[in-house]
Amino acid sequence: MARVTLIEAVTMALGWELDHDDRVVVLGEDVGVNGGVFRATAGLQARFGADRVMDTPLAESMIAGMSIGMAAQGMRPVAEIQFMGFIYPTVDQMLNHAGRLRHRTRGRLHVPMVLRAPFGGGIHAPEHHSESTEALFAHMPGVRVVIPSSPGRAYGLLLAAIRDPDPVVFLEPKRIYRLQKQEVEDDGKALPLDTCYILREGDDVTLVTWGAMTFETLRAADELSKEGIRAEVIDLATISPIDMDTILESVEKTGRLVIVHEAARSCGVGAEVAAGVAEKGVWDLQAPIVRVTGYDTVMPLFRLEYEFLPSVARIVAGVKQTFED
Amino acid sequence: MSMKTFNLPDLGEGLPEAEIVTWLVAEGDVVKADQPIVSVETAKAVVEVPAPWSGRIAKIHAPDGTILPTHQPLVDIDIEDAEGAAPAAQPAAKPEPAPPAGREDSGTVVGRMMSTEEVLEDTAVAGRRRRGGAAATKAAPAVRALARQLGVDLARCQPSGRHGRVIAEDVKAAAGKAAAPAAAREVPRVTLPPGTPQPLRGPRRAMAQSMSAARDLVSQCTIFDDADIHYWPPGQDITARLLRAVAAGCRGEPALNGFYDGEAVSRQLEERVDVALAVDTPDGLIVPVIRDVGRKSLAALREDLNKLKTATRERKVKPEDMRDFTITLSNFGMMAGRYATPVVVPPTIAILGSGGVRHDVVAVMGGVETHRRIPLSLTFDHRCATGGEACRFLAAVIADLALPE
Repeated sequence: MARVTLIEAVTMALGWELDHDDRVVVLGEDVGVNGGVFRATAGLQARFGADRVMDTPLAESMIAGMSIGMAAQGMRPVAEIQFMGFIYPTVDQMLNHAGRLRHRTRGRLHVPMVLRAPFGGGIHAPEHHSESTEALFAHMPGVRVVIPSSPGRAYGLLLAAIRDPDPVVFLEPKRIYRLQKQEVEDDGKALPLDTCYILREGDDVTLVTWGAMTFETLRAADELSKEGIRAEVIDLATISPIDMDTILESVEKTGRLVIVHEAARSCGVGAEVAAGVAEKGVWDLQAPIVRVTGYDTVMPLFRLEYEFLPSVARIVAGVKQTFED
Repeated sequence: MSMKTFNLPDLGEGLPEAEIVTWLVAEGDVVKADQPIVSVETAKAVVEVPAPWSGRIAKIHAPDGTILPTHQPLVDIDIEDAEGAAPAAQPAAKPEPAPPAGREDSGTVVGRMMSTEEVLEDTAVAGRRRRGGAAATKAAPAVRALARQLGVDLARCQPSGRHGRVIAEDVKAAAGKAAAPAAAREVPRVTLPPGTPQPLRGPRRAMAQSMSAARDLVSQCTIFDDADIHYWPPGQDITARLLRAVAAGCRGEPALNGFYDGEAVSRQLEERVDVALAVDTPDGLIVPVIRDVGRKSLAALREDLNKLKTATRERKVKPEDMRDFTITLSNFGMMAGRYATPVVVPPTIAILGSGGVRHDVVAVMGGVETHRRIPLSLTFDHRCATGGEACRFLAAVIADLALPE
């Protein structure tokens, strides 16, 4: 069992799958010789050769399009986009082709590809490198969006994403790429997609979050526990489709829901979670749903970065709001 | 040798320089990553700077007292043998293109990656699917708001909606509002003479509603007596003593501490004594609750009372501090008033009123003495408590009050 960071867990999962499934190829800008901007593919080209781990030109639309073509013809491409800020040329490919090829061909073709990209702020990078636009992809029918929040889930969910028969956008919270280490067994065991992960159980309030924000949210839960408020912390993990059952069950128990995300507030995935609870869980709510989120602005430059990102204090305040009359 | 130079970081405030206050380590010391190595004063604060890597301190560039510009060399650390400092091992099958000399792999091409030695203990459970079985009351937000407005505990409502949901009618029924809608309609509406009536607001409105419910629901019966406090030493805290006496009454006769549901004809007696204390304010009657009175000392009760007094004066008593009491104390005799017929608020069973302390002429052993006495009035709900129980309760209250301390 190795003690690895989240980024090392990504490398480990890619290595396992390249080793055990000949159909898997890794492609992207600088993923080969260089090993990737964040070192996600470090050493993989040396191990598996330039046919399996391919450097591509700077052309994201082509990277996605080529992946779709390979996937539709039986391969398992895992493409890397260097930053979420560069992912938007792939939107046309993902929305118009990857997500609908199964439907369009009446099931004759499907697209088992993964589009990996680091996302989110907190590393003092320029603003277009720091945004969280997972909702764009969550809105696309036929495309799964998966976000890990720990080395263990990065490993298990990436394996599941590669093995999934349909396209998965796999967004990696880069702020926590190297923040913590975890014992992860390199055993090729995937974790289930389309389910939430309950990081902590509690009876008083449900906190739903994902990605790097799990870090602050768990700390907020620690703070709250000092005041006798036992928070249940749920990691959404699969952003689309959302496992509403787990959330509804939790809200049934706690009667209070606080959603924490880094992305801008309006039309974020938090709004979808809130709507789902409003539709089916309203009978259980003891207080209005609260969202603690980034702001509806462009991500600020780095000195104000942590003003934009929800802090432990903002999350605690959001939870207390649900206990006001 | 693998030497790394650590430059003075920007300490997060965008300052151009900082003063080295004290080195916490000396050249030759072995340090671990994140261990504080030097304290540095910026314009705002003295902060400790942690070691970025594990290793041995090779050279300190800026001794104590130096004012060092940001990003200038601070210390050299020899990381040769330090654990975890070696880059991720890569197969040496073919020669890797060597990175340009002196350039560190920071793990990113822009910005700065945060990294710690923290080991994540993750006990995540993949979502359970165990629908059903949760016990919380189901109700729409508007129904919850209504319940709050009427002072009704949703858990005590009999749900009549679909799927066991509490609906507005259930709340009104519990509040005694919809108990007899037809009869209510027959009561002629009061018409006021011409003028501008002011709707009751806040605590006064809440009082109107709870008193109406009390009138409609409770069989009120009141007993009067006096507690002789002649043997009290000076400086006894009357309110705290009264609270303690209520707890003593509950111990002596548990039948008055708890709740009664007339519709279900069932009572629920409580062991814990949570006393609601009626407080008169310009806005109306506020009834904050003192919890677990039976287990608290007089000093602790006084502390609670002082907190409540401040909160009440500032109108900051939280709604949860005015709910869920098991019995009520009304200490009304400050200005005038000897006995009263205090009103029991359903679903509780009893309320004790205490009038003003006064000197009474009492017969003692065939003679006559003047004793200080507290006049007491105990109202109880005769539907669920007997007169005998009420008298036993009052006797226990009086006995406790009569104690010197």
